[in-house]
Amino acid sequence: MLKKLIVVIALVAIISAQSISAQSKKTKSAPAPAPAAHSNTAAAASNETIAIKGGKLLTITHGVIENGVVVMHNGRITAIGGPGTAIPSGAKVIDATGMTVYPGLIDSETHLGLTEISAERMTNDEIEMSDEIMPHMHVYDAFHAETALIPVTRMNGITNAIVAPASGDTLPGQDSFIQLAGPSATEMLTVRDIAMPLNFTGAQRRNQSFEQAKFPFTRMGMATQLRQAFIDALDYDQKLAAYDKKKSSADAKEKDKAGTPPKRDLKLEALLPYLHGKKPVVLAAEQPNDLLTALELANEFHLKVILNHVTHSASLLDKIAATGLPVIIGPIYEQPKESERYDAVYSMPAQLAKRGIKIAFASYDSHQARNLPYAAGYAVGFGLPADEALKAMTINPAQIWGVDKDLGSLEVGKMGNVVVANGDPLDVKTDVKHVFIQGQEIPLVSKQTQLRDQYWK
Amino acid sequence: MPHRLHLYRVMLLSLCWVLSSFAVAQQPSNPQQPSPASQNPASPEQATPGTESKANPVTDNATRNKKPAPEAPAIHNDVVIRGGTILTVTHGKIENGSIYIHNGKIAAVGQTVNAPAGATVIDASGKFVMPGIIDSHSHIALDDDVNEATSPVTPQMMMRDAFDYNDKAIYRALAGGVTTSLLLHGSANMIGGQAIVIKHKYGLGRDEMLFPGAPQSIKFASGENPKRVYGSKNQLPSTRMGNFEVMRAAFIEAREYMRTWDDYDAKVKKGDKDATPPKKDLKLEALADILRGKLLVQIHCYRADEFLTEMAMAKEFGYKIRAFHHALEAYKVADKIAANGIAIATWPDWWGFKYEAWDGIPWNAAISAHKGVRVALKSDSEDVTRRLNQEAGKGMHYGLTEDEALKAITLNPAWIIGVDDRVGSIDVGKDADISIWNSYPLSSFALVDKVLIDGDLYFDRSLPGLGLTHYKEVQ
Repeated sequence: MLKKLIVVIALVAIISAQSISAQSKKTKSAPAPAPAAHSNTAAAASNETIAIKGGKLLTITHGVIENGVVVMHNGRITAIGGPGTAIPSGAKVIDATGMTVYPGLIDSETHLGLTEISAERMTNDEIEMSDEIMPHMHVYDAFHAETALIPVTRMNGITNAIVAPASGDTLPGQDSFIQLAGPSATEMLTVRDIAMPLNFTGAQRRNQSFEQAKFPFTRMGMATQLRQAFIDALDYDQKLAAYDKKKSSADAKEKDKAGTPPKRDLKLEALLPYLHGKKPVVLAAEQPNDLLTALELANEFHLKVILNHVTHSASLLDKIAATGLPVIIGPIYEQPKESERYDAVYSMPAQLAKRGIKIAFASYDSHQARNLPYAAGYAVGFGLPADEALKAMTINPAQIWGVDKDLGSLEVGKMGNVVVANGDPLDVKTDVKHVFIQGQEIPLVSKQTQLRDQYWK
Repeated sequence: MPHRLHLYRVMLLSLCWVLSSFAVAQQPSNPQQPSPASQNPASPEQATPGTESKANPVTDNATRNKKPAPEAPAIHNDVVIRGGTILTVTHGKIENGSIYIHNGKIAAVGQTVNAPAGATVIDASGKFVMPGIIDSHSHIALDDDVNEATSPVTPQMMMRDAFDYNDKAIYRALAGGVTTSLLLHGSANMIGGQAIVIKHKYGLGRDEMLFPGAPQSIKFASGENPKRVYGSKNQLPSTRMGNFEVMRAAFIEAREYMRTWDDYDAKVKKGDKDATPPKKDLKLEALADILRGKLLVQIHCYRADEFLTEMAMAKEFGYKIRAFHHALEAYKVADKIAANGIAIATWPDWWGFKYEAWDGIPWNAAISAHKGVRVALKSDSEDVTRRLNQEAGKGMHYGLTEDEALKAITLNPAWIIGVDDRVGSIDVGKDADISIWNSYPLSSFALVDKVLIDGDLYFDRSLPGLGLTHYKEVQ
């Protein structure tokens, strides 16, 4: 199978090497000369000045500007405003008349770069299942920058994403925040170990059968194991601190007493930034009972929490609001419980937003991460205000993940991650026409467009 | 949960998706050529010449094949839907139009209609009215009994025997505007079981949910799934070579079986009173039904080369393929699929979940339609079946015209199922299966307000609780 994959990749490379000058039948704007489709290597920020003019700007933070202008230079937005905004001479002008212009979308949970073909094990690095407590797994160690999935995802205007390990472990590892273009993995991994998922949905139990029973078989086991891990880490932390104190003592006698440092333990070490409240834990629970148990645990250890899913916890909405915690919401396509109305999950984003809870959408997918805006659109159908839906893929996640200095809105000084589309960003019919990442236009070319152009004749 | 969703998807892919097909090249002079689609080519009434006049071996299976669903009960209703934008599918859009429904059928449609004074009026002002959505590939309401994964050839399996008519998935699809679904066997077997066609009359009894008179479909599969299921047990088939050889062997055996019955019938005809009938065999009988052209062949198939092999196989054994399902590489050989009169039932954008799905592209539907293939967008998913309207919208995003996109979730799946003379458009004489939407349906934002089946209201979003009209929660 691996061989086949190699053959496919080789074929794709050959295809991409052929000049694809034939215009696509689909009336896409002709892309700039394209790098190989599944190279994600946008050149580093160039000095070219780009001005997008004539479009409807959804700035997110300061309203809608009709017939607006966005200017980007050196990777950043340098000007934004109405039709009178000055366009520097020599700027490359993109005509966005009739188009919608908005900040690049942020997907708050994907497995991009950790998977290629779901059913082919050798192309997957989504999770280490050998233990339930694996905080020392770093997705950046597996992140495959050249994945064919990223160019596909960009084509719907997604420019940034959380890459998380899959959710089969209680603590499966640590997330990274990525930019969906860059010279290499080094630049694309913009924030490493940005957060740590803590999954408590019952799905992390090792309870497939009594024959293969393994601890933790129950939620009691999961909670106990997790508590012990945190206690072990705090103990380790104390020993480290005690050693450091002695070692750094001005008193020579004290210094001598320090002895050898505690043996380094990567697993416990990985937990420390979270136990110190320096980084957030992404706490995933669906049912109310799980949410309460996990929140108690998080509070016991003073963890900084971002909630995740809360799919079936409609009964706790007010309680969630009272915590003031943000919520990564979805997948709203999760089935309701048997007794629930068909729209019980679809309407959760609206219910949360109504209570002033800060929400962010996630696709929880990789191949279909491109469909992130459609889930937000469907939530609008079920009562979420459209501007809230857009915020939940832009400024909200930017704030939740601590990257709002650079991302999440069209504002001077922010990174030039900008999307131009021919309609409402949330609608399934809308086609993205231009994507800029760090002020540079990214060719809308993927493995899929190459096959399209080869066969659509 | 993401991981669970992911596993669920992979599981679905590995277990359920299947349909491969063999198509007979269309030759107008071929005496076995079924009549046009609208006449239910595979229905028992259309038995091919040479078999129709003689009594087929009557087994339990055959009996059931002949009666896929009971006769429809008489329906009495008079309903008028007024004021909406009607998407008729076959004759364009009618702004501020009306539909008159009489006894479960569409009796009139137009700018204005004549309806009796006592008719129930549904005000659809500002709303969109379209046919009920049809899902031509579903495995809901089978309580996980989707795959009899113990033998690669199981055509005698009847999905009706597993039909869990209480499954809430039927309701949740109804709330997404779906009125008819084809519930198929899974993709573990090269020749799987026989499907049922249901109407989503959630709250009614089992037999009342079966689509009266719908032709019988059978599921075939190809490629990775049979390979994986049997290969993992070190059994035949574990390769595509094995897959197709298993099919050939099955059809050759079925031909032999048919011959023994022909011989017996001939003897009886000659007055031989001592003639002993051959032993009846449910499996061979079902295979014979395929060769007799009595079943609509629905084939799970991904790869371009496999479409070609399936079509060659169908030609070799003289049966027709109705549709390739999933069909992610249809765009590579669309002209050949079109030339054989075979439809595809695909997704707008699924890809990459397994190797044979690696070349899936979202323009597949548009390229195929452009080259003359009848295209349906289906779910194969308890999730996606709830929002096929959005899938059609995605189809437009990726190059289908509005007309093609609408047909892809109505008339074209109806054709695949063999009920396009009954449902799939708003035309006089058709069943009054109608969905009413709060806004333009092929979008991210539209919600279903009401769903009528045979002119009766089954779902109404404005109602409290589940929004159902015929369902009583058992306390």
